[in-house]
Amino acid sequence: MGREKEKEKPSEKALNLLRSRLSDPNFIFRPLSDSPDSNYSKLKFIISTSVTEACNNSILLLGPRGSGKVAVLELVLSDLLQQYPEAISVIRLNGLLHSDDNCALKEIARQLCMEHQLLFSKVASFDDNSQFMIAMLRECGLAHKTIIFVLDEFDFFAQGKQRLLYSLLDAMQSVNSQAVVIGVSCRLDVDQLLEKRVRSRFSHRKLLFLSPSKEDTERFMEHILSLPMDSSLPHNYAAEFNGRLKKILSDERFKELIDTYLSFNFTIGHLVRFLFQAVSYMDLNAGFLSLGNFKTALSSNQRQLKLESIRDCSVLELYMMVCMKRLEVKEQTSYNFYSVMTEYKSIHDSFQTSDYYAANVCLRAFEHLLQCQLISFIDNKGHNQSVEFRPVKLLISSAELHQGLKSYQQCPAILLKLMDR
Amino acid sequence: MATEESPQVTRRATRSYSASNTAIESTNLPESYKPTINDLGFRQQPLRLEDLLSSFPGRRSQILELLRLLGPLNSPMFPILVYGGPSTGKTSVTLQVFRHLNRPFIYSSCITCYSPRILFESILNQLLFHRKDSGHSYSSVKRCERPSDFVNYLREALENVLTNLKGNSGKVSSKMSGRPDGTMVYLVFDNLERIRDWDKSSTILPFLFNLNDILKMPEVGLIFISNTSPDTYYLNIGYVEPIPLYFPDYTEGDLRHIFMANQTNSRLYASFLDVVLRPFCRVTRQVDELAAAFSSLFKKYSEPLSDKEVRSQPLLKAETNEETKKTNSSRMLGIREDFDKIDFHMSTSAKYLLISAFLASRNPATLDASLFDSTGVSDSRKRKRKASEKSMDQKEMAEQELLMKGPGTFPLERLLAIFQCITSLAEDSLDEEESHELTVEGGSRGLMSDVLLQLSSLCNANFIIKGGSCPLEGSTRYRTAVSEDLALKVARSLKFPLSKYLYRR
Repeated sequence: MGREKEKEKPSEKALNLLRSRLSDPNFIFRPLSDSPDSNYSKLKFIISTSVTEACNNSILLLGPRGSGKVAVLELVLSDLLQQYPEAISVIRLNGLLHSDDNCALKEIARQLCMEHQLLFSKVASFDDNSQFMIAMLRECGLAHKTIIFVLDEFDFFAQGKQRLLYSLLDAMQSVNSQAVVIGVSCRLDVDQLLEKRVRSRFSHRKLLFLSPSKEDTERFMEHILSLPMDSSLPHNYAAEFNGRLKKILSDERFKELIDTYLSFNFTIGHLVRFLFQAVSYMDLNAGFLSLGNFKTALSSNQRQLKLESIRDCSVLELYMMVCMKRLEVKEQTSYNFYSVMTEYKSIHDSFQTSDYYAANVCLRAFEHLLQCQLISFIDNKGHNQSVEFRPVKLLISSAELHQGLKSYQQCPAILLKLMDR
Repeated sequence: MATEESPQVTRRATRSYSASNTAIESTNLPESYKPTINDLGFRQQPLRLEDLLSSFPGRRSQILELLRLLGPLNSPMFPILVYGGPSTGKTSVTLQVFRHLNRPFIYSSCITCYSPRILFESILNQLLFHRKDSGHSYSSVKRCERPSDFVNYLREALENVLTNLKGNSGKVSSKMSGRPDGTMVYLVFDNLERIRDWDKSSTILPFLFNLNDILKMPEVGLIFISNTSPDTYYLNIGYVEPIPLYFPDYTEGDLRHIFMANQTNSRLYASFLDVVLRPFCRVTRQVDELAAAFSSLFKKYSEPLSDKEVRSQPLLKAETNEETKKTNSSRMLGIREDFDKIDFHMSTSAKYLLISAFLASRNPATLDASLFDSTGVSDSRKRKRKASEKSMDQKEMAEQELLMKGPGTFPLERLLAIFQCITSLAEDSLDEEESHELTVEGGSRGLMSDVLLQLSSLCNANFIIKGGSCPLEGSTRYRTAVSEDLALKVARSLKFPLSKYLYRR
């Protein structure tokens, strides 16, 4: 990349480096893979044995979203591709894109054609493609070439008739082929979703991806955030940056902060996102990370979204919500705009509030509440009925509403009183 | 308001080759115009940071945070979700930030791109520098309906663009030719909340949220803009959430800044805002709604100025204040106000039809006979009073039920019967009156002209809603959404005593 400015600020360079590190899964997961009992080593062993011993295999990688299943798999695959460049071809499918069997087979055919410099026909039918796949499996088996099928979001392939999974696994059983099927899913019960005919053909090998331990987390953060000493960055800048970072990492307040964050977002993916936010908040003039950066990142993650929405409401909209709450307290099970309006009118009649508006103005407020999802329609039927008549429900609890009213600056005192009784 | 709208307008004009272009916009450019890589930038003088900050009052912290998250030149980013209520400047700020940075971006709104196919094709058209024109009968560059095809095409197109951009940045002259900076391409998806209503929302939304992981291209930045908070996107598959960036509603002070911008007579407008802003803020704090309401109010407010120049300033102030207060106290938002003034220009028979539909929706069918009995109205009133002798509790329950149920449905036969009754009544009364008044409407004779035609036109205008067919009879049932106020107004224009025929529980 050609730089316009030769003399870039070291802090900006450091920020760029950190950001590209955080968005590079290979860099993040590399250090976690060296120990012999890590998922990386296990997975590499399984795949490399099936490549060298020319056998079929299937395996499931399970774990919550963001725990690095695909990243570790990609790491293994890139290593193996370097090790045996001739003996492996990888087909990647994603359940979000190819959950439809027809589409999935077409994609397999397309990738196989790309890999082997064949002409891909767009108009080929499902049968054509599946025959082509089986033929390719046989050919590759004869040439001692392993095809690795990576099925990301494996649970999506288990929906419907599972024709793809069946034909894939069946081909592996019957033909003299050499293939590995790797399913990746965040549903731990995904093997229960499989049909019997598919399940019986599937080897029930599973690798579980768990969240890292506390020590791992700390090691990992230091690995990502500390600057290299032997790069183009000025030496003393990098040294000071690392020194300050070490101080932050050993700070008790920082540890507490990370604990709070990890207590509700515990995967590496979440941690990386958190670090990314903290790094982007870094002050470029000072050029060093500070504890404040991490604090802002945490506070932007701990949002109380419903309270925010209440703060965005106008006084009239608060009135509408309080009316609904009162109706709920009165055990009126369902209510619509007109029943809210009668309640609103009765409040006005008994307290003579200054905020009494015409029905059409209130309808606007009602629609705004619907739009920002503080209330919603109870059912989806009755599309031909107008908004006013469709029954609605509140999507916030009474405690939330109460808290929201309290924190609302211009909230009329009468509203809080009305909430209480 | 000017600060809110002007960026919008310039953006449309500059990015007119996008899928949303209209006939008027395309005339701005010669037919032979070919979009190039330069079009990915904003194609206008980049804004300086101070100008950017000053053009959006009250959005300082949001702009700075967005700039931080986008990061310095050529640094990868995580997906961002920009959210906040309607008209809080989300889209304008995002687009103007890109103008400030002068980086390549692709903008597509899920309002104009109302289906997955159109959304995908619009993005691809922009990336492949394709402009729809008559030469290829306004077709898109690629036909692409499935997310899987889209990802393949997108990857291809992005790689092309990126090599193009990388080639540029090497040249020294790239600064001069107005080319966008950097080798990152940003995809902006506006109005994301619309996707939830699409048929395929359950597959498209997870796909978009996971697009970053699927593409695995660090040179691509994703920005989602939504006017609902992230917790309204419940997905049962889960995803690592995009980084939230919240745009809160403007405070009263911010609104004052916004409305004071670009005012010719700032003193007058300031005094106007003193009166209007606070009470209106209790109803809504949305800039667009307030602007619509204020523009008509301000005209009224400054009317005395143009009438009599001789008045002294304080006197005028007091008087106009009073006037605006009056308008305020009537509690009408300007938009609705105009709507109320509209007189119905429909034929007499259509008006009668509307009234009969209203009656048929409100009154229980069993009471039709007594209400429209030729013996007269007074009789039916007595009967009605008898019927309503119930305890208060039951009455309340019934009222609630009525409110919940909304207007009732009715078959066509009943509508026509009521129509016949009330028109004949009206004609009777007209006959009586004719001796006294000679200026009665001439059209009342032909009331039965073509009722079915009128009915279908009322249906088309959504005054009467055609409901599902009755499972027992198999005939179509109708209902009317006309409010009581409107029905009364129509009745008044016909001098029809509607309230006599309304059954009240």
